[in-house]
Amino acid sequence: MSPVIFMTQLTCEKVVPTDALSWRDSVVAPISNPDTLEGMKHFLPTAILASQAFLCFDAQGEIDFVHEVVPILKQHCTECHGGEEAEGGFSVNTRELFLDDDSAEPGNAENSYFIELILDKDPDYQMPPIKKKRMPKEQVETLKQWVNEGMNWEPGFTFGKPTYDPPLEPRMPEIPKSADGRDNPVDRFIDHYLATNKLPRPGPIDDLTFLRRAHLDLIGLLPTAEEAEAFVGNKSPQKRTEKIDELLNREISYTDHWLTFWNDLLRNDYAGTGFITKGRTQISGWLYDALKTNQRFDTMVRELIAPPTGESAGFINGIKWRGTVSVSQTLPVQFSQSISQSFLGINMKCASCHDSFIDRWKLTDAYGLAAIYAEEPLEIHRCDKPVGETAKAAWVFPEIGNIDPEASKEARLTRLADLMTHPENGRVPRTIVNRLWAQLMGRGLVHPLDAMQTEPWHEDLLDFLGSTFQENGYDLKDTIRLIATSEAYQSRAEPRKSEESGKYTYRGPLAKRLTSEQFIDAIWQLSEAAPTSFDAPVVRGIANEKDVKKLQIPSRWIWKASAATPPAAGDEALLRKDFTIKKRVIGAGLVASADNSFTLQVNRKEALSGSNWSELESASVINLLRPGVNRILLLAKNGGDKPNAAGAFAMLRLVYEDGSDEIITTDETWQAATTIPKNFASPKWDFSALKWTSVSEMKADVWPAAIDQLIGEALAIKSAAADLMVRASLLKSDFLMRSLGRPNRDQIVTSRPNEITTLEAIDLSNSETLAGYLDRGAERFLESASAPDFIDQLYLAALTRKPGDGERALLAEILTDTPDHETIADVLWAITMTPEFMLIR
Amino acid sequence: MTAPFDPDAPDPIIRRDFLKKLSAAGTAAWMSGEPQIVRGNEIQHPEAKADSCILLWLAGGMAAPETFDPKRYAPFEKGMAVDSVLSTFDSIDTSVDGLKICEGMENIAQIMDRSTLIRSAVQPDLGSILHSRHQYHWHTGYVPPQTVAAPHLGSWMARVLGPKNPVMPPFINIGQRLEGVGEKEELKAFTTAGFFGSEYGPMNLPFPEEAAKSVRPPGSMTSDRFTNRDKLYRKLVDQSPHRDYASDHQQESLLRSMDNAYRLLNSDERKAFDITEEPKEVQERYDTSRFGRGCLLARRLVENGARFVEVTTEYVPFLHWDTHAGGHSTVARMHSEIDRPISQLILDLEERGLLDRTLVIVASEFSRDAIMEGKPGSEANDQATHKVDTITEAKHYGLHRHFTGGTSVAMFGGGVKKGNIYGKTADERPLVAVENPVTVTDLHATIMTAMGVSPKTEFVVEGRPFYVTEDGKGKPVMDIFA
Repeated sequence: MSPVIFMTQLTCEKVVPTDALSWRDSVVAPISNPDTLEGMKHFLPTAILASQAFLCFDAQGEIDFVHEVVPILKQHCTECHGGEEAEGGFSVNTRELFLDDDSAEPGNAENSYFIELILDKDPDYQMPPIKKKRMPKEQVETLKQWVNEGMNWEPGFTFGKPTYDPPLEPRMPEIPKSADGRDNPVDRFIDHYLATNKLPRPGPIDDLTFLRRAHLDLIGLLPTAEEAEAFVGNKSPQKRTEKIDELLNREISYTDHWLTFWNDLLRNDYAGTGFITKGRTQISGWLYDALKTNQRFDTMVRELIAPPTGESAGFINGIKWRGTVSVSQTLPVQFSQSISQSFLGINMKCASCHDSFIDRWKLTDAYGLAAIYAEEPLEIHRCDKPVGETAKAAWVFPEIGNIDPEASKEARLTRLADLMTHPENGRVPRTIVNRLWAQLMGRGLVHPLDAMQTEPWHEDLLDFLGSTFQENGYDLKDTIRLIATSEAYQSRAEPRKSEESGKYTYRGPLAKRLTSEQFIDAIWQLSEAAPTSFDAPVVRGIANEKDVKKLQIPSRWIWKASAATPPAAGDEALLRKDFTIKKRVIGAGLVASADNSFTLQVNRKEALSGSNWSELESASVINLLRPGVNRILLLAKNGGDKPNAAGAFAMLRLVYEDGSDEIITTDETWQAATTIPKNFASPKWDFSALKWTSVSEMKADVWPAAIDQLIGEALAIKSAAADLMVRASLLKSDFLMRSLGRPNRDQIVTSRPNEITTLEAIDLSNSETLAGYLDRGAERFLESASAPDFIDQLYLAALTRKPGDGERALLAEILTDTPDHETIADVLWAITMTPEFMLIR
Repeated sequence: MTAPFDPDAPDPIIRRDFLKKLSAAGTAAWMSGEPQIVRGNEIQHPEAKADSCILLWLAGGMAAPETFDPKRYAPFEKGMAVDSVLSTFDSIDTSVDGLKICEGMENIAQIMDRSTLIRSAVQPDLGSILHSRHQYHWHTGYVPPQTVAAPHLGSWMARVLGPKNPVMPPFINIGQRLEGVGEKEELKAFTTAGFFGSEYGPMNLPFPEEAAKSVRPPGSMTSDRFTNRDKLYRKLVDQSPHRDYASDHQQESLLRSMDNAYRLLNSDERKAFDITEEPKEVQERYDTSRFGRGCLLARRLVENGARFVEVTTEYVPFLHWDTHAGGHSTVARMHSEIDRPISQLILDLEERGLLDRTLVIVASEFSRDAIMEGKPGSEANDQATHKVDTITEAKHYGLHRHFTGGTSVAMFGGGVKKGNIYGKTADERPLVAVENPVTVTDLHATIMTAMGVSPKTEFVVEGRPFYVTEDGKGKPVMDIFA
């Protein structure tokens, strides 16, 4: 077989320096060539190796500078020759300083003066000085080997003070003067930056490029052809700002889009590891509501860290696997890592095993945060081995306050929430505004996003955005709006370079690749092939005042007719109602209460439960319903120790696609079972074995007094419907989504891949799922337009522009006057695979 | 060979530049936030003994005493004590003097003279047996959960060694469905390139007989239509007004990937995915099950330059090797599924001169025992569904507990000694490894060493080193190599 080799063939001798081989990038030699493997070795990545026992490392071979040399130098040398100290003019801060004055000769330990001094027996010369401990022989050997191997040094590492130390406190810098009438503060900073660096301003973008970018960035959808035409026709000088406001005000679309970002950041998903053993809970409903109502970010952080209800508890509770786990992955340590990464941009993963070698965080810092969460005394482990100390709850920036380790867990978490959202804590605002900047501009002011100790390329701008965010009430949309309305955002995207070497210089925003969700949503927009239901347990509508008023319906309470009056203590009633759904339901809200407790199932799946008659429980049950006959089963139990009043109430509101609605509530049409199944929660008991009799309506003034005024709002919210296209962000990940880069969300992942890989390209080229969508799209376009029109409509809908003459001619030739289905599907495929479609420029 | 381009048509994509750049490998690794291999000292990679690897995965806990490590045979008798059962199969001779394996594996017995049989593989007792968790450990070398997504063994090979043939995906995973089966999320968690990114991830082919489809144009699309579609695509790219982005890295990357995909879907290599290209009698030799057909597919893929192929009997809770009841009869069926295909695969590779350069591994996440869950002293929950002291029915007869104290791993080719036995388990319960125990970490080190990759190879991800064997601690078992 002759392989179709796409890559340039190179012989092994002419190797380009490489440290990474990938499938598509590989250097190729014929398989049968016996030299191949020999040659391949040259391509193999270089790596530093760990040797001898130190900390977690127990290996032989080459010396690992960070894990082996650094600790020795720290133990014996840096007190006098590191940091600010340079006794005898000798500093080991950097490799350059180390080599100064021929103190060492890489590759030759015998000739290295510092080794000589360490080995010197003369008390006047030897190092460390006579009063200090001698360096053990193994350590000297390690250093010698390190020198002989060339004194490898971690790039950028210094024993001195890091050149940049990020401030904690907020800072509002002076805003530079505006130039050329560019008043947005973001532009004043950026223009000043470009002028100082003698860089040209990137050119402006036209209306349609802006429209496409703003749509995809703010609500994750393509503008429709109609929206595009209307925007071009709009003569308002403020139309871009108006458009940004309009998009940000589309609560549901905004939420559907940003849900992806937040789910990644908070590792929330609708399926994934841990759910199977109930070791994990979702925060989906809470998160969706928070985004929908543009909840203050500080409130979100508070509710995630010190959850007022179970709804937002999933984030700090992490993922619990059945069985034993390594100490660095117990729930308290996961907590420490998660809150550090998501909110502070701190990587606490190193420090949860040993003092970090790359930043200032220590094992005790990681465990201090972990102990805030821990229920039990938490023993500190270094590399999975106990060190004989118990962790003390502590906060990592004590300059603004600390945590009382003796306080209860709840109090500790509340205090941590206070400190995270403390007015003097500028780190949390900086971290989140930097993430928002990256979402919109393609790269963070600080990069990488989870390493906030890194120097920003524009510190003033970061500080300005952070402080403004705080001053404006931690308003996420406000920050998005501030950036999006700038000329900087609305300027030409800079082509990305493959390599990033040296210092980053801003020259303009960077193009972003469509996320998996954006891509699939866009395909669904073009093809109208979106599914009609979704997996996320969220309420996707907005309750309106009219509905709230209309749904203020008095409660009716029932019990089995056969019960004594009043019913006995502990008496149970299993109440049933069947109803038929004939039209497509787009919203379904359920409220219920019972004296004293209840569990309610819809189609044998638990929908609601409660144990207080003065409280109204509510839920959206749209995912539990099905076309045709549906069944509610309500198992209620009376409390007390002697006969007393008992009753159960439920009300379901169904909202149909055609705008009509229907109420189903507890009344005399319900039935009561004569016996109660043993394990109601189990899906296994036999429904047909039950016999049914009538119910009685029950009265007690206290019931309606307690809950009636709550019904309207609860029902309106839970049944509110969004008659909008279902979005990929609301679905469990599938093969295509995973292939296009949606992460598993077992870990926090704060950036998506920028590139499209060959495996993805294969899936895009032959995925049946995608082909199915495009077929639907072809049908849709066939129905709606004829050829010349079709080409324009398609370009507007897919690329938010009219086709050029060459494009129109090319497609006109292919499509003829009566294009067939297949041709249109292929045109759709070809257009949606272009870089122009795949990238937000 | 299919012509990928119309030779008369001018090449529409501005290709010269990026063709050149293709040789400058590894640009992806330089992108923001991507893991970078640690640079510094030149790593001393061992000399490779193999350049392809096939992992035959007997998912669900293959009981060593029922397969490669027979113990005292206790035939079924009504009323027999459960604790009298060590093996429910009699042992048979093999082509190696003194080496016996279980009845039902007669074909494999004949190729044991090509193998090194490790009988002392051990797993940690993770406190509770969740198959997918032990499988995660076996496949990545790390116990979940992890702070970063750990790459699969195959992804390590894809990342470090790259493809053997550039049109052939380096990591192909055959036989495991990832949707519609129990513990699917847990399976997905390790069936991934993790922090390496999907470029190094598995190409999943759950049904070997449908593999050809995954490298064919979609559905009913004819070859002509597929070619025309690609031409149209290239012309559209060429017509795009966004010309000034021609040098844009993302654009290049996309065009290159699309081009690669087109090449594969139009290449001769794609025939490697089609097992019906084999003569009928060859197909029949392998055709015992999906696993058997997967072995044939694996052979074809390796012949065409695949780097790492896994073929699994498929993990589905309580099915196949996951015997919680009726173990004996289930394992008898599993014997018949694996016996012919495994031996045929080895013989075919040998006949083609590929065996010496192909490491074939037969393994499972742990072993099984009739009464012991975990290992001696374990606190793991006993999950057997029929807990009896006395065997009264056939469904009680079998090894229904998960045992982590000692199991077998068979290796063929790839530079391992032939007719070699390494390690040993006790002859009486507990059947723990009593000689040369091999941990998962060391097993990984051994496999990577055979492939010419140092067990200490590391990448820096999120500022931390992440090693191919846990914390770089894996020590290869050099005794098994010839």
